[in-house]
Amino acid sequence: MLTQVPSGMLQTTAQFYSMKNRIINGAMQVAQYSTSSITAGNNGGTSNTYSAIDRWGYLSTQASKFSFQQLSASPPTGFYNYLGVTSSSAYTVLAGDIFTFNQVIEANNVADLQWGTANAKTITLSFWVQSSLTGTFGGCLKSYGNNYAYPFQYTISSASTWTFISLTIPGPTAGTWNTGNAGQIYCFWGLGVGSTFTSTAGSWQAGNYVSANSSVNVVSTNNATWNITGVQLEVGAQATSFDYRPYGTELFLCQRYYQLGQTGAGPMSNTSITGAYISVPFNTAMRTTPTAAVVGTPSFENMFGANPTITSIAGVRGSALSGADLSLGLTGASGTGVTGASLVMSVNSTTSGIGFSAEL
Amino acid sequence: MYKLSLDHKGQPAQSVIRTTDGACIPFAPDNTDYQQFKKDLANGVELKDAEGNQMTPEQITTFLATLP
Repeated sequence: MLTQVPSGMLQTTAQFYSMKNRIINGAMQVAQYSTSSITAGNNGGTSNTYSAIDRWGYLSTQASKFSFQQLSASPPTGFYNYLGVTSSSAYTVLAGDIFTFNQVIEANNVADLQWGTANAKTITLSFWVQSSLTGTFGGCLKSYGNNYAYPFQYTISSASTWTFISLTIPGPTAGTWNTGNAGQIYCFWGLGVGSTFTSTAGSWQAGNYVSANSSVNVVSTNNATWNITGVQLEVGAQATSFDYRPYGTELFLCQRYYQLGQTGAGPMSNTSITGAYISVPFNTAMRTTPTAAVVGTPSFENMFGANPTITSIAGVRGSALSGADLSLGLTGASGTGVTGASLVMSVNSTTSGIGFSAEL
Repeated sequence: MYKLSLDHKGQPAQSVIRTTDGACIPFAPDNTDYQQFKKDLANGVELKDAEGNQMTPEQITTFLATLP
């Protein structure tokens, strides 16, 4: 009979929560978008672009100032992957510039934090970070409505050495915080942020900030590197061990926001061989009805003749729950009696299909 | 820049094509691409009809009023 709980068995109460870590893909394992190096474009700095590691978006107000990629060459102990960023030039950051990586946490996943109320819970943000530069770097937590922010700073003392950072942040009792399937919390790491979007570190304040004053600008040193992994946001005032979830679970969590449809079927138009209407099932329910885009060159089987190629997606409809119906533009189909024939998407590549995005 | 389209039955699709990358954006209020589309139109970004004709500001205003 067990009469005593061994010391260390119960490390923290938080450890036994499901979803202790509110960050999804904090170990940078899932990269449905691409595992290749991506050069950041200019997205205006207001709406995230996702193109490499799932759930990790970037904001950039200038094109081609940094590249990024899922890497595995030299992770910190206990991790296999990390997000690697490399500066492309020695760019002087302007007052209105924003260069960041970030994750937006859906309100459904942090409803218990009660932010914006008198009962707001304290959280701890922890991560492993490495840079070719040293100094004080910046970041920020911010409401998704861009009106309440907590700029923070962290120090890297040794160049090219993985450093564990833990920041305990009191829950905000003010501000407007979304509920439901909208975004609630932005978690930013600054790579170079102009004075318009920085403020004093260490307190909640009204304003649209994404980093702290006087922080290192990675984009200002050509070939500078900045790597991050093991990102965890948890309830409580201390960092606990990283919440490793099964890979399949992590992938499912990511697919609520992005997934690559690789199977589907439907008829070609009964009046033309240049159109089709196919249904593509989702692997898991998505956050909202997604945007659809052709990724790579998904192939189709046409039993009456030459297989077609998609030229466009002319329409998308469906729910967020089970799948989407797509009106496709096609080219290359041929064969007697082909109109109205069934078409089956048959993808044999991990990088082709229909990309469905319900990102934040 | 955006373009409206016709669905497989030749009816107006309940979505819009973002011409920069060909993505098809549903008229779903919680979809952030759709939210951005509406912001872009309000800021004067170009919208073409399904035939490829540039829509006038008045036509865009009328169209926006029909969206969810």
